[in-house]
Amino acid sequence: MAESLVEIKRKIASTKKTSHITSAMQMVSGAKLSRSEQASRNYQRYAAKVREVLTHLAAAQLEEMDSESDEGSGLGEEKADMHMMLKPRPVKRTGYIVITSDKGLAGGYNSSIIKQTLQMLTSDHKSDSEYVLMTVGRTGTDFFRKRGSNIAYELLNVSDQPVFDELSELVRSAIQMYEQGIYDELYVCYNHHINSLSSQYRAEKMLPVSDLEVEEVKKYEQEYILEPSEDVILDQLLPQYAASLIYGAVLDSKTAEHAARMTAMKSATDNAAQIIDNLSLKYNHARQAAITQEITEIVGGAAALE
Amino acid sequence: MSKLHIQVVTPDGLVFDGDAGFLVARTPEGEIGIMSNHLPLIVPLAIDSLVIKEERGGKIIMTIAVNGGIMEVRDNQVSILADSAEQAGEIDLDRAMRAKERAERNLEKAKKDHHIDNMKRAEVALNRAINRIHVSRK
Repeated sequence: MAESLVEIKRKIASTKKTSHITSAMQMVSGAKLSRSEQASRNYQRYAAKVREVLTHLAAAQLEEMDSESDEGSGLGEEKADMHMMLKPRPVKRTGYIVITSDKGLAGGYNSSIIKQTLQMLTSDHKSDSEYVLMTVGRTGTDFFRKRGSNIAYELLNVSDQPVFDELSELVRSAIQMYEQGIYDELYVCYNHHINSLSSQYRAEKMLPVSDLEVEEVKKYEQEYILEPSEDVILDQLLPQYAASLIYGAVLDSKTAEHAARMTAMKSATDNAAQIIDNLSLKYNHARQAAITQEITEIVGGAAALE
Repeated sequence: MSKLHIQVVTPDGLVFDGDAGFLVARTPEGEIGIMSNHLPLIVPLAIDSLVIKEERGGKIIMTIAVNGGIMEVRDNQVSILADSAEQAGEIDLDRAMRAKERAERNLEKAKKDHHIDNMKRAEVALNRAINRIHVSRK
């Protein structure tokens, strides 16, 4: 049972070293987390603005859609003039962008995304051909590739504080595939950052753009001058809006990743401290036992001499 | 006279936030000047410079390289929403030059392969790089 004193001592030393590393990683992630949160705030301002302009522009088309759905006419011909990215179409295939991390040591961050995405894929689709995957991050890419899923696009090594340029390629491909009819809906699956202790899995619909509220528009009474025409502006603004949504999801998931890693590293450090406590106790026991035994031996030896 | 409140917003943050009397931007259709009390307006912007001035014909407050985007004017509030934008003083000329060379190479290659998508992409990248170099030298 009893491990030797030297062995216990060595274990304590190595656990201590590990805990130094984990606590350093915790601090690094903490710093990255606060920078990510700042970036998210910057992005929010942009997203809100784009949304505001777009809502106003699309108001006319949205009202049309609302009145039609009231009449329950479904997909009528009158909608022909609606912009492609606003107009829902019958769903034959669905696109998913799955955002995971490149690196591990982030606790249950990746497994929760993969598990829930997989659950959704198997419950919503009959066969693999009904969906197309786009993956961000190594963990998810490796997992779905091993599974033999159809991965249309993969993006690896996203930096800790992603800038918009890094994602422009992904965003462009995603929108292009939607326009070409490779899929009729686009969802983004990621972990939403709530606070540094918790995050929540989300699958958000990005295309067709459907979360605009006509009520929001009624605030502004004035009419805009639109140059050269509403269609041209929508052509530019809708992809820009979709791009900003996808970028926002990546930022959000990065923030959640840093938070998850920070929490995981914190609990690792705490565990290490506990292990060191236990080992120290064991060490002291063993040392005391050794001393006691030595004394008994000496006393025994002395008694034998008499 | 009331002033324009100008905000240049990109996904990576606010590039410019301040008041000015006059603003010159370029749309795909041509140059456009905005003064205070302009009617509500939404226009797409070209990849070009955005010049913010104290007043019409007055001192230049700031020149910004804008990579396309949309401009909205309402109640003396000007919002410019772009994928990216940089203040003239903050442009890294070396990086812009490298980007230009890279874009030129890509364009050559795409032309050789007759890859139309890549060609368009390289053209846009080239325009952006040229615009940044141009603005930083102003």
